[in-house]
Amino acid sequence: MILFKKPRRPKGTNSRAKDQNPAGGNRETTEQPVQNLLLSTDIESNLKQLKGIFKNCSDVVFREFLFAQREQIKLALVYTDGLVDKTLVSEQIMKALALNVPMATDNMEITRNNALHYVKMRGLCVHQVQETGKIQDVVDAVLSGDTVLMVDGHAIALINGSRGWEARSVADSITETVVRGPRESFVETLRINTSMLRRKIKNPNLKIETLKLGEVTKTELALVYIKGIVNEGLVHEVKDRLSRIKIDGVLESGYIEELIRDHPYSPFATMAHTDRPDRVAANLLEGRVAILVDGTPVALTVPYLFIEAIQTPDDYYEQFLFASAIRVLRVIFLVIALTLPSLYIAIISFHPEMLPTPLLMSIAAQREAVPFPVFVEAFFMEVAFEIIREAGIRLPRPVGQAVSIVAALIIGQAAVQAGLVAGATIIVVALTAMASFTVYYSGSITLRLLRFPLMFLSASLGLLGLISGIVIIVVHLAGMRSFGVPYLAPVAPTIQGDLKDSAVRLPWWSMRRRPHLIGQNDQRREIPGLKPEPPRPGRR
Amino acid sequence: MVEKGKIDSTQAILLNITMIFATALLSVPAITATHARQDAWLSSLLATLLALPVAWLTAKLASLFPGKILIEYPEAILGRWAGKILGLLYLLWFIQICSIMVREFGDFMVNAFIPETPIVVVNIIAIAIAAYIITQGLEVMARVNQVFLPLILFSIVLIFVLATPEMDLRRLLPVWESGAMHIFKGALAPLAWYGEISTFAMIVPFLVRPGEARRIALISVVAVGLIFAFLVVGSLAVFGPGIAAMAYPVLNVTRVINIANVIERMDPFIVAVWITGGYIKIAFFYYVIVLGSARWLKLCDFRPLVLPVGVILAALSIMAGDNSLEIFHFIGDVWPFYALFTFEFAIPLGLLVIALFTGRGKDKP
Repeated sequence: MILFKKPRRPKGTNSRAKDQNPAGGNRETTEQPVQNLLLSTDIESNLKQLKGIFKNCSDVVFREFLFAQREQIKLALVYTDGLVDKTLVSEQIMKALALNVPMATDNMEITRNNALHYVKMRGLCVHQVQETGKIQDVVDAVLSGDTVLMVDGHAIALINGSRGWEARSVADSITETVVRGPRESFVETLRINTSMLRRKIKNPNLKIETLKLGEVTKTELALVYIKGIVNEGLVHEVKDRLSRIKIDGVLESGYIEELIRDHPYSPFATMAHTDRPDRVAANLLEGRVAILVDGTPVALTVPYLFIEAIQTPDDYYEQFLFASAIRVLRVIFLVIALTLPSLYIAIISFHPEMLPTPLLMSIAAQREAVPFPVFVEAFFMEVAFEIIREAGIRLPRPVGQAVSIVAALIIGQAAVQAGLVAGATIIVVALTAMASFTVYYSGSITLRLLRFPLMFLSASLGLLGLISGIVIIVVHLAGMRSFGVPYLAPVAPTIQGDLKDSAVRLPWWSMRRRPHLIGQNDQRREIPGLKPEPPRPGRR
Repeated sequence: MVEKGKIDSTQAILLNITMIFATALLSVPAITATHARQDAWLSSLLATLLALPVAWLTAKLASLFPGKILIEYPEAILGRWAGKILGLLYLLWFIQICSIMVREFGDFMVNAFIPETPIVVVNIIAIAIAAYIITQGLEVMARVNQVFLPLILFSIVLIFVLATPEMDLRRLLPVWESGAMHIFKGALAPLAWYGEISTFAMIVPFLVRPGEARRIALISVVAVGLIFAFLVVGSLAVFGPGIAAMAYPVLNVTRVINIANVIERMDPFIVAVWITGGYIKIAFFYYVIVLGSARWLKLCDFRPLVLPVGVILAALSIMAGDNSLEIFHFIGDVWPFYALFTFEFAIPLGLLVIALFTGRGKDKP
């Protein structure tokens, strides 16, 4: 159903292997640095050179033919099969040049010397044509899916935009689903992704700068921002950090994230990743910078603040009261997801007096048969849940049902009946698990990770340990910055205007300004007085 | 520059509130009630009034010596040697009150919360977390405080709202029974706490707008005074003058809460929230010590001092007294006079007078 292309290293450009053993003996024809080579006027020698470079690359096609207008002029096409739009190559390039379509007006003579000009100006029916004189550009273009046309007698090749490979079509977002709002998500092709953003923001100020990273993979990256809104310093900072990267390959945006993020050891994400174009567009409008990577549907946006973990795209589409209520709940869920098992352990083993007596009796009765201390019990259940979750992600789809049955029946029911685990513990673990799904996915991974040390702390020191753990986490968060913006803003440091879009979401007509620390360049989002009001009698 | 961060005025006010309030809510209402009985709330309001001059004095000194911190004023006023010695005494004083604070915190935790844990464990945890906070710098401490202080204040409002069924305002009657002298005596303990505002002079240079120091100091004192009066009125309304016999009256208020047999025994929960305040308060004084020492020794960074000072604090917090009664006695009977007539009020006053007479400092009155 999906033609999911796993990006592979292009086999032809084995320049890295070369750099590693410069003394390595029996290398063949082309083995001098490709970077500096120029095309020659002799098409045969060019072809020989390219064939040497693309030796054993069965997917690269060399097609030589004669120019219909002047039979003695030889033409050659080079492209990668599978990456090009075949109809375009055969209909618009081959047909136009190999068949007899008159190009020159009567009194003009096509010679070896002006053939290239005629081909380019009148022959090709391709939307995008570039000239180049470098072998390296030719190689890059061929491997990116463009078609290179060489004309005998010219040291210049024409690069025709003909990219058109099999790609997954735009589908629903899998990681972030919404009830109300656009469904589409990014795909693996960079160009389609940028087109989705361009369709949302039809403004020349939406800048999409591309650069290539990965010395072997040559992966294309797009740096997207809205000029005029974004803080120029931020764009510089992102570019600066990207320019330091020298790595063999970039297969997913996660590579980039780990290489340029702040606080590399922190479990908390300092860059947002999302596959939703609307989320990226909204972030761009707030003055953020997005990084799109070819080959992955996951885009990165910076700066990322902690508060974004509880914000979802449909918060901004639903009515604000409803959205705010859900957000407040999400804050509570976040606290539950982080602390509930630890709180349970602390209360049962250190402060049982906190519970109302009937509840305490009931839990004590359940726990009577359980042979483990409550920490061990809760810990095992948490581990069991992690097993189920991981199995659910990894296993092949058809087996999914089996896992859910095993999980529900064996872990849930049988463990209680066998007296290994108290029912209350299962409830706590299940609630925690459900709560952790309500926050943004990357945030929930962090919560999963931090839950265990907190459980240790509260098992050894009770609520004091739990609170100490939370204080440590908050201190850590308060000390963090994401691309210069304090991570806990707008709560600490408190930025009053930005609290309108924090644990609550006020209506659009009241959020008149962009986030203070991010959209510094242009704070005004809308004109004042947009609040819908009934027409007043005095005023027209 | 030892500290690079800057905090804004709101952060400074909130930090001052925590700095004074976090331990004041433990035993001060009881100490006040020992002298003033049901007029303790009058004492707390009187203390607020009396603390305003202290706040003003602090801010005045700070405005005379911009860019300098409290322990550097003596050097600018009295000359190098006398100033250095007085600065050192200030540092020792901060070490002493910080270690007593740690002890008070540990006593509270062990007495009220985790009776089986040795106090040294609690003290070391508190100091370790405070050390972590201050290595992150003043900015981070202010931000952490911005996260937790609202929770602390909310928890206090919450417990008094939940305790309203137990309250009877007639327990505050008769007013003025104990007489002016006792009310004044009762005011001394809270006044000594409010006098901790003089510590604020240690961080004035790190404000975004140091010119607002006076406003910040006065607002902080008034805010703390009002919150504290609220606590005292609430505790009196629940227990009457009997709070004098309690170690931690506000905690006892949380213990009487019982709503529909579901919301009861909230105290561990509330205490858990207060722990954060205790950590921040300890961190603040700990920070003042290492920052002051670094400036006193003319170091370029305060972080190397964090560990040694922490060890000293942990040891002193255990040596401060043999048991919690001794600490209570010190806090209730010795501390107010000791603090007010030395470092909190008398010495700054003397410094200001000398500075004004000799004309040292920036602006002339």
